[in-house]
Amino acid sequence: MKPPTLRPIVVLGMLGTTLDSGKGARRWKRWRPTVSLCQHEDLLVGRLDLLHARRSTRLAETVIEDIADVSPETKVVPHIVEMDDPWDFEEVYGVLHEFAAGYPFETEREDYLVHITTGTHVAQICNFLLTEARYFPGRLIQTSPPRSTGDGAGTFSIIDLDLSRYGRLAARFEREHTDAVASLKGGIETRNAPFNRLIERIEYVAARTTDPLLLTGPTGAGKSRLAGRIYRLRRHRRMVKGELVEVNCATLRGDGAMSALFGHRKGAFTGAASDRAGLLRSADGGMLFLDEIGELGLDEQAMLLRAIEEKRFLPLGADAEVQSDFQLIAGTNRDLGACVQRGEFREDLLSRINLWTFELPALRDRPEDIEPNLEYELERFAVDRGQRVRFSSEARQQFLRFATGGDARWLGNFRDLGAAVTRMATLAPGGRISAEVVAEEVQRLARSWDHGGDQDAIELAGVVGPQRLKEIDLFDRAQLATVIRVCRESRTMAEAGRRLFAASRARRTSVNDSDRIRKYLARFDLSWDEAGRPE
Amino acid sequence: MISIDGSKGEGGGQILRTSLALSMITGQALRIDRIRAGRPKPGLMRQHLTSVEAARSVCNGTAVGAQLGSTHLEFIPGPIRGGAYSFAIGTAGSTTLVLQTILPALITAGEPSTVTLTGGTHNIHAPTVHFLQRAYLPLLNRMGASVDLELERYGFYPAGGGRIRVDVQPAQQLRPFDLTDSPPVRSRRAIATIAGLPPSIAKREIEAVREALAWPDECLHMHQLGDESGPGNVVSIEIERENVTEVFTGFGRRGVSAEQVATTTTDQVRRFLDADVPVWEHLADQLMLPLAIAGGGRYLTGPLSLHATTNADVIESLLDAHVHMARDESGRCLVTILR
Repeated sequence: MKPPTLRPIVVLGMLGTTLDSGKGARRWKRWRPTVSLCQHEDLLVGRLDLLHARRSTRLAETVIEDIADVSPETKVVPHIVEMDDPWDFEEVYGVLHEFAAGYPFETEREDYLVHITTGTHVAQICNFLLTEARYFPGRLIQTSPPRSTGDGAGTFSIIDLDLSRYGRLAARFEREHTDAVASLKGGIETRNAPFNRLIERIEYVAARTTDPLLLTGPTGAGKSRLAGRIYRLRRHRRMVKGELVEVNCATLRGDGAMSALFGHRKGAFTGAASDRAGLLRSADGGMLFLDEIGELGLDEQAMLLRAIEEKRFLPLGADAEVQSDFQLIAGTNRDLGACVQRGEFREDLLSRINLWTFELPALRDRPEDIEPNLEYELERFAVDRGQRVRFSSEARQQFLRFATGGDARWLGNFRDLGAAVTRMATLAPGGRISAEVVAEEVQRLARSWDHGGDQDAIELAGVVGPQRLKEIDLFDRAQLATVIRVCRESRTMAEAGRRLFAASRARRTSVNDSDRIRKYLARFDLSWDEAGRPE
Repeated sequence: MISIDGSKGEGGGQILRTSLALSMITGQALRIDRIRAGRPKPGLMRQHLTSVEAARSVCNGTAVGAQLGSTHLEFIPGPIRGGAYSFAIGTAGSTTLVLQTILPALITAGEPSTVTLTGGTHNIHAPTVHFLQRAYLPLLNRMGASVDLELERYGFYPAGGGRIRVDVQPAQQLRPFDLTDSPPVRSRRAIATIAGLPPSIAKREIEAVREALAWPDECLHMHQLGDESGPGNVVSIEIERENVTEVFTGFGRRGVSAEQVATTTTDQVRRFLDADVPVWEHLADQLMLPLAIAGGGRYLTGPLSLHATTNADVIESLLDAHVHMARDESGRCLVTILR
């Protein structure tokens, strides 16, 4: 067996105009870092690329001659680099960066070490930064004088900035990485390999960029939750100081959208009674999650693009721009490329937010994750309601069989799953979800998907009938469905009233909540008997 | 393939050099494991690599594992060829130790050689050029070889830059010899050599030698070199007898006074003279190898060093030879090499 041929070591270093100096025989009594590099019994420098200013040529020649004596194996290649002020960070970095860019690195054939002992402290910092950024694709070498008296070469240490090469550090980073990935999954032990890969990728990117992130995927796939977890992860790592501001752009349509996003000055328009900061301003130093970004109007899109690129924008009615530096996370379930084709979405904004795009898979594409998410939802229910609920083992099998089978379309994804668990847990007799409860829920879910997933419409159709439903505006459906849901959960109209008007009850002197419910139901030709708890 | 444990005995570079020399001469491939295993920086260092490379090129051999820090080496020798060779030793490493590796092979080669070596010429823990010129090579030449060493430039640690040129006329057949009696001292000489350091250092050393040995002025010399060879300082003391010259060396170094450099050397000289033997410590371990190659020989010396016993072990494992060491009650030792 032949051991692999070692790559020859090439050192890149700057001539130390003070440390490397010395004349006559006495110079050998001084420790000179650049010469010392080549005096070690256990370090063989094949080539030394020595950077120096033209005015230091004499010194460089002495050093080169001395290295030829102590290390005939080493070829020294001088490079003239000029710096007006070796303490000026910008200049030194620029010069070294340029040197690195023009250097014919061949990492396959040569092993590079960057000598950081010589040069100004600024040069050391620049060398460090350039090595860490891999402009110098090598390791650092630091030389030190002999500890006690003696003319020895002193010592050297090679520092690899690839921290994964240090066992203990690597273990620590691995742990942090695992923790971070777990937190992005919300502590759910997901098993779906593509999803887990996606989360690993998001963890990697989220730790490294302040560019916009775009989360795509069907409604209910968890975009909003994920945005919140990315924010908490970045905040935990002190990469963001400000708040997470979340808004669903679908709620911003119309005249108020501009003002809500970008703020306004008092008197900017009728009704602008006072200054409003706007969501972008509130997100300064933090993160802004714009869900359903495809619903944003074209004017708002233009303003948003400028705000992302320039970190400044003009509030309505203001005569000066305001600044806000935030990281944007955009969410969408629409095909923004198609929106651009139809002229509904600005191409320039899309290309700006399309840098890091992560597509969250639909729940039906992650059947192996239904079980862990079921546990998660049960846990959430327990925390929210203070009541722990369990499946009977038969019921559990039954539900999982349905949930992971071909009939389960999960059109609303996690929203459907969460709602299903909430319903089953609420209906569970004695905190135990029975097979009957599951059977009922399975039917309900199947029905809802037949209706395209509109849960409100399904419930209302059961109460007012499909004909009457068609006459009710979409605007009213959500409220009516909520009212009916509460009524059905209440034993009496008074109890329903207490829950429906809980917030305003305290402020009123006389209360007749039952009357309000009755009048509200009457608008839809419904009575308490029809809306309330079926006997 | 013969296997050598590099950590035994002296456990350093000596095992490597002796093994390589004998491998070349006998044509036997060898494998050395645990090279310098107990040292703070184990494995092959740069100067050892130069020795391996010198051995490899002199016999057109193959070396596997000849890498910095490697603790294993396989060496497969080819036929020894005389010729012109040139080796440069880094870190001001010793030119004489590299020469020691290849010289036994070159004196048995079919044709003459010229070897130029650059590096250190007067290194602590290595024979100095003066030791080779005055003590070792005359004995080698007495065995039938003709080796002429010229010091072209001094080289001291840490600057190095020394150069020696060695002309080798091989011997048809090396002749053994006996070196058991010590005839009266014919000549004696102490030289303090100095380069790039204040001349007062050499003066103080000479004064200290005079005081310790009570030698007359004509035996005491100062040799000042040009600054370009420095810094460096050695005290060399020669004791010449009709059959052999012994050389003792003290090395000036930081933290050691000139007087100390001189008296540690004169102490050795006094012990040598008191023992009334022809051969002392360093010559004793160096003679073993050429005598073993020549087929035998005897010499009388003082207490043997770890280097000598280590050499004896390596010689016995690579040659069909026996090194017999007989000590008497006064600490003298008769070394007999039998094939």
